[in-house]
Amino acid sequence: MKIAIEELAGCSGCTIAVLDLHEMLLDILAEAEIVYSPVIMDVKEPPEDIDIAFVTGAVRNEENRERLEKIRKRSKTLVALGTCACYGGVSGLSMLSSNEDIFSCVYREAATTKPDGVIPTDVPPFLYRAFAVGDLVKIDYYVTGCPPKEAFLRDLIPAMVSGNTLELSRKSVCSECDRKMGQVENWTLKRRHEGVPDREHCLLGQGYLCLGSVTFGRCGASCPKNNIPCHGCNGPSLDILREPCRDIYGMMVRRISDLTDKPQKEVEKELYDVAHTMYAFTIGSLIMEDKENSKIRDLVKERSR
Amino acid sequence: MKEITISPVTRIEGHAGVRIYLNDRGEVDSAHFQVVELRGFEKFLIGASIEEAPRITPRICGICPSAHHLAAAKATDQIYGVEPPATGKKLRELLSIGQFIHSHALHFFMLAAPDFILGHDAPAEERNVIGLARHSPDLAKKAIAARKFGQRLTEAVGGKPIHPSNALPGGMSTPLTEGKRAELMTMANEALGIAREGWDLARGLLDGVDTEFGAVTTGFLGMANNGVYSTCDGPAMMLGPDGNHLGSFSGQDYTNFIEEYSEDWSYLKFARFKGGNYYRVGPLARLNIVQKMGTEHADAALAEYREWFGTLTQATLAYNLARYIEFLASCERAVQLLSDPGITGSEIRTPVGAVVNRRGVGIIEAPRGTLIHDYTVDENGIIERCNLIVATCQNNYGMDRGVEDMARRVVENGALTEGAANRIEMIIRAYDPCISCATHAIGRMPLKIECVRRT
Repeated sequence: MKIAIEELAGCSGCTIAVLDLHEMLLDILAEAEIVYSPVIMDVKEPPEDIDIAFVTGAVRNEENRERLEKIRKRSKTLVALGTCACYGGVSGLSMLSSNEDIFSCVYREAATTKPDGVIPTDVPPFLYRAFAVGDLVKIDYYVTGCPPKEAFLRDLIPAMVSGNTLELSRKSVCSECDRKMGQVENWTLKRRHEGVPDREHCLLGQGYLCLGSVTFGRCGASCPKNNIPCHGCNGPSLDILREPCRDIYGMMVRRISDLTDKPQKEVEKELYDVAHTMYAFTIGSLIMEDKENSKIRDLVKERSR
Repeated sequence: MKEITISPVTRIEGHAGVRIYLNDRGEVDSAHFQVVELRGFEKFLIGASIEEAPRITPRICGICPSAHHLAAAKATDQIYGVEPPATGKKLRELLSIGQFIHSHALHFFMLAAPDFILGHDAPAEERNVIGLARHSPDLAKKAIAARKFGQRLTEAVGGKPIHPSNALPGGMSTPLTEGKRAELMTMANEALGIAREGWDLARGLLDGVDTEFGAVTTGFLGMANNGVYSTCDGPAMMLGPDGNHLGSFSGQDYTNFIEEYSEDWSYLKFARFKGGNYYRVGPLARLNIVQKMGTEHADAALAEYREWFGTLTQATLAYNLARYIEFLASCERAVQLLSDPGITGSEIRTPVGAVVNRRGVGIIEAPRGTLIHDYTVDENGIIERCNLIVATCQNNYGMDRGVEDMARRVVENGALTEGAANRIEMIIRAYDPCISCATHAIGRMPLKIECVRRT
């Protein structure tokens, strides 16, 4: 069994998540051989006959796209590992501005750069947008998570390596959360730094924008359990993914409205910074952008003018 | 012009390459370290609410997410005009220590050590942690155990081992329970045992290695708290190339001392002191700056290190030893903090109100060096400007020049053998560059080494 891990536009966190199998890694290495993984080994190019390749990161520049096409050709099974590969991840946020504006900001407008700073040209050029890997090549399996959690990979990777299938949870983050709903009265939306949430009740019910109900689970609801509202880093929940007319923003508005008896129009007035609070991990995904009521198209248009 | 490229540079975090330019006699004309990725955080954070910065910026890097998480949190404290309570601060330090233990153990044992233990001429497919597991199974098990402790500590305090979530404006979101503390204490003592035992291996690492390789003469920047090694508190101090003290900064004043520029052939910016002097950051810089580590075993190791290298060293390969001493200090500090009765206190968060200051600058030491997060916000706390200076950008010049130095030594008759290419990469690896961090500013770094013949 030959395994490879390819890195595109990402943070290497998904490769570290595989290393975070810790001692189990040695058992896996007894069964399988890692033939290519640039973060941990010296092999410069993926070999021809890979059984399972994991691709991490989004596609943002020409080089990412070439590498994605190469790893697809050279592997029997291709797994999109992590939210960047599945939905574009934070790299999608770069679509809020034009490429020119990004370069100008980074190389000329930062507090320590000069207005005549050089904008690199002898480098792999940017594509016009970010892509999730499934937007460009055929993907056999999607594993979401930013990064996928250790307990989940401990079930998944040994099964994949030994060619077995396994039943996995398909529920949202809320299904793994231990909070109670309680009474919701006089609801107003709070910024995340306002007040201190109580540990017992639903964060959304307390006024915090917690994306648990619209987010795919398998993370053990670790943020809500640590008194931090869910940010949606596992990507959309299955109901949103499946239904063309369902989108993260629309479902959040509907849930808040149901919870508080506020009309949806009133709820919408209270929302702020929708790009970073609701779409931080999915702007780069064509699937999410193509939803008929997706806000992504507006956000991208609005900011890149 | 003939080019030799090494692509990708491997066993580093992210995407990069090396390009070597040859003259028509096949000799090295010049060489550059090239980064081929950029992700654009400084731009796409504009318009975000400032309290989202500690959640989004960890995604700059999957190896040192806690550093970004903490630097951003520190900046938000300033914007809301609050100080975390004592327990909140201790938990943040513990989070930083978890980061150092995992990252340094990863680099030392899994990314750098294979070159020294298996030899830099060992076949490429064996020169890695997997080969190490075959060659020295006990060592691999210990490396895994030490790193596991770092990640468990990060998870317990930060909520998740990768991309922690618990630091927020005014402190931390969740206290450490007594049960968790006791569990971590057992692991901390085990990790300290491994770190102490490993010093014997580490101290012999550079025996017979020419430490002049990849040499470059620069100034240094790093934090110290009254002369003692520190990752979260204290001013960042600047040293000139001879160790002369050039000044220090701890906030917005960093812009008086540091400037950045860019080159056409790399997405990675270069940082230098104003006035044009180059400097380096990270373990080598920090050990040049501190008077002591502040813990028993690390101080003993530092004394030995200084016997070999003096109180100030420019030797690039000494980064690997300096990193190990920091790993040892971090294990000791973890035991200290976990023994502190205050660590399980319930006062972890100072409530915050409206925006007090329109600008906040969070400076901390990340495993690879000084990290600066600088945010300017409007009256509602929406980010208007953002500047992120990461360690790898500050070491860019050192890596670039080190690569050229090594290329001159190993390129023969316009050709580069695989072993020689790896020696160039060893210089880069010594810095433990984090290209994901470097490209905060979008991209990929297995190294590409190219030789270009100018005709």
